[in-house]
Amino acid sequence: MIVNGQVRGASVPPETTLLQLLRDNFNLTGAKLGCDVGDCGACTVIVDGQAVNSCLMLAGQAEGRQILTIEGLASRERLHPIQTAFENSGALQCGFCGPGVLLSAKALLDENLNPSTQEIRDALSGNLCRCTGYTKMIEAVQDAARLLREESRTQLTHARTEATAP
Amino acid sequence: MKRRGRGIACMWYPIGFTVDANASAATVKVNEDGTATVLTGTVETGQGSLTVLGQIAAEALGIATDDVHVVSADTDTTPMDTGAIASRTTYVTGNAIWLAAEAAKAILFETAAPMLGVKVSQLEARDRKIQVKSFPQRNVSIGEVAHRSQVVLGQPAIGSASWNPPTVAMDPETGQGKPFATYVYATQIAEVDVDDETGEVEVLRIAAAHDCGTAINPMLVEGQVEGGISMGVGMALHEEMLFDANGRHINPNLTNYIMPTSLDMPEIAVDIVQGFDPTGPFGAKGVGEPTAVPTAAAILNAIHDAVGVRVTSLPATAEKVLTAIKAKRAAEVKQIPA
Amino acid sequence: MNEHSRVLERDELEIAETLRSPDVDLRLPAVLPREPYPIEPLTPDARQQTRAVGQRATRSDARLHGLGQTKYIDDLSFPGMLYARIKRAGIASARIKRIDTSAAEAMPGVMAVLTGKEIPTNSFGPTFQDQPVLADPIVRHAGDGVAAVAAVTEQIANEALAKIVVEYEPLPAVLDPVAAMREDSPKVHAPNSNIYATKVVRKGDIEKGFAESDRIFEARFSTQMIEHVSLEPHAAIADWDANGRLTIWATIGRITLARADMARTLKLPMSRIRIIGTIVGGNFGGKNEISQEPALALLSKKTGRPVKGVFTRGEEFTATTTRHPIIMDYKTGVSNKGRILARQIRLVLDGGAYCSWSATTLGKACILSPGPYKIDNVLAEAFVVYTNKTMTGAMRGFGAPQVCFAYESQMDDIAKALGIDPLEIRLLNAFDEGSSSPTGQVLHSVVVKESLRKAADRFGWEPRS
Repeated sequence: MIVNGQVRGASVPPETTLLQLLRDNFNLTGAKLGCDVGDCGACTVIVDGQAVNSCLMLAGQAEGRQILTIEGLASRERLHPIQTAFENSGALQCGFCGPGVLLSAKALLDENLNPSTQEIRDALSGNLCRCTGYTKMIEAVQDAARLLREESRTQLTHARTEATAP
Repeated sequence: MKRRGRGIACMWYPIGFTVDANASAATVKVNEDGTATVLTGTVETGQGSLTVLGQIAAEALGIATDDVHVVSADTDTTPMDTGAIASRTTYVTGNAIWLAAEAAKAILFETAAPMLGVKVSQLEARDRKIQVKSFPQRNVSIGEVAHRSQVVLGQPAIGSASWNPPTVAMDPETGQGKPFATYVYATQIAEVDVDDETGEVEVLRIAAAHDCGTAINPMLVEGQVEGGISMGVGMALHEEMLFDANGRHINPNLTNYIMPTSLDMPEIAVDIVQGFDPTGPFGAKGVGEPTAVPTAAAILNAIHDAVGVRVTSLPATAEKVLTAIKAKRAAEVKQIPA
Repeated sequence: MNEHSRVLERDELEIAETLRSPDVDLRLPAVLPREPYPIEPLTPDARQQTRAVGQRATRSDARLHGLGQTKYIDDLSFPGMLYARIKRAGIASARIKRIDTSAAEAMPGVMAVLTGKEIPTNSFGPTFQDQPVLADPIVRHAGDGVAAVAAVTEQIANEALAKIVVEYEPLPAVLDPVAAMREDSPKVHAPNSNIYATKVVRKGDIEKGFAESDRIFEARFSTQMIEHVSLEPHAAIADWDANGRLTIWATIGRITLARADMARTLKLPMSRIRIIGTIVGGNFGGKNEISQEPALALLSKKTGRPVKGVFTRGEEFTATTTRHPIIMDYKTGVSNKGRILARQIRLVLDGGAYCSWSATTLGKACILSPGPYKIDNVLAEAFVVYTNKTMTGAMRGFGAPQVCFAYESQMDDIAKALGIDPLEIRLLNAFDEGSSSPTGQVLHSVVVKESLRKAADRFGWEPRS
């Protein structure tokens, strides 16, 4: 499978979940064990573009797929706009649900750069948080959406400028 | 049909332990470049206490939040602390840190006074400088003072202190006494829609006005209010641990113990009530627990306003609310003359 | 025994890293390339301001949280680390007749087993030391731990629990706190009464107050047992060094007192104990005392290896403290204008199987129960009672949310009966600066009325005609 852009392989017992594979074998401890039965969303990762509870997916089912974990969001140069927005808004408190929430938000923004408040609530509805009441998270996702929209506009402008340059 | 209602609840809540000693100790070290390190035995449980404590130390030393590094939670290296409990961290640990910072600053002032040609009592720390009160043009950078103090004079600027809230024991017969050094106050007002055919309650919005003394970090105070309200919504409407007749748990899981999700949260408007408590660090009190206190009461009062039924046991599940609505209708029908 | 499934390679790409198969005895993590993150921190403006108080400063840990780099206890691992699990009684009230751990001990991969008898001081508690680390011999609630195992994998530890045989003699149980108050009820901590703490606040003359009242309102309110549900479960790691010094990484919010508790249960001097509080994924009161730590320490001592224990989500409900259910009887006398003249309160707290933070909760609930109101005549009596259910302890508010529900519900009932606006009746009665509390304390920095007016303004509260 491809995890955060790198090909990774492992040999594990068949009942191993994707969550166990990520945490125990690949040392990617960002995804958390909150309940192990898909109720809390702390284990959320993105598989082939979709946010999934990695505790409900077997490692074998992830074979050949593209996995994005929280460790793959930032680059050497900068934080992902979602991470920047969450940090500036004070949207995370204890941080345990954070990786799962950030990835659910990314999955939403990858599809929809202009989500309504209700759409954001829906996207986060599978991620339980006991600390924050979700309020600042929703604001942060809106901020991140705005940042991403601005970025894509800038890129478009550059592309047009290059295209029309003599 | 959906019926709208509104409900108020106000409350008071104490800071610290009931009468018993609950001290905090802290150490503040000013580094040779004028930045600082704080040692505290408290534990960051997610509420952001280490950031707030860093802000308190920074304010006392006249430097910025980012100049302070807070080290916590190791019994080998950090001083004792009664812990992150009873909303006491900002108030009790904060006071200890403030006192420790003042002690470290006193050493810096002793070094700076001859450098600036004035007495110690004429000095203040502001904007990363130690300057003369009412004549700030005469100043020296805190880094220079710290360096001189530690490296040249051999007097490192370290301060340690502890603080315990003053209380008076309660009389065993009457309970009269002073159990806490200070209290905080708050009001939450909730607006709900109650579906009178299903009993389901939707909390639409809550206006929350909370007192915390001085708000050291308003963003973190808001975070506590919003988080507390989410606990209150759960307590009011959904959460309950159930036991069977043999004392075994029926719902020890998150599938059947219903916790609020992002879909259950109302719109929240937070106001921080202006306040200043002279017994707290820079006037601050605390806010961690009070935010979860009035929510359920406000929601239940709003249900009462919406459909005229008084649910007296929590949680006010849809079942309970509907049963109460039906009982009320039945009672009203009986009263209509034939 | 185990079929291994192979993950196929892609033809076009080379594998960046091949992992060693995990050695069944040593769960060493494979060496991996560092994940990317920006090295230069961008510091937001608020953290650079030199008037620091009042700044909306971003948190110092926010960056690490957002990157997923914060290490909670379950993210830590040490070479040779073992995994511990605790066997839960599953029965509310019983005497343990016999525990047979031999089958579990014989399992390959199980390194040590522990029962209550092996714990030097098998009791702890912030007020009364009435709770055992592992029950021996009396089980008082279904989540009581009766034995612990340490094994090379969590799965083997789980399987070992099933192989531990415990013979119970069931004892009568009491689940309702009101029933538990009766003399003839089964005793949870025989021979002591089930009522394990009481509190009284008495001010003025309650009978006189009622006599002077125009109307009297009586009601009973009750609240439920609630669990903290921190997203991070209780977790700890125990390890010893060659000097006989114990280090515990724990999610406990009170490390100073945790060290004292560990010194007491293990009969060790405090200088030989180090408690490190890691970044916690939520506490809310549920992680303010030791629970499995002494057991982990002893398992670590037996095996000579670090031992990690992480509660399952189920154990979070069955074996950790909860919020007290309270039954609250309120009798309030008012004047026709809505002034509260007298308030009599009786609180019965369901105190669960062990005291934990119940005495503190009792005290706070009792003191706060009259509400933030000027009342000359107050009588508040509170009782906390043992039952054979999960222990009730500290949870955000220590009884305040429960009593607030009661006193504010009744306030609205009074307002409705007298035809007074709910905001007005509260402004009429609320504390002022310098008011006397129910315990006779002169209050300072009082802003109840300001909070009422501010919230009403923000909400848009208009009195109805």
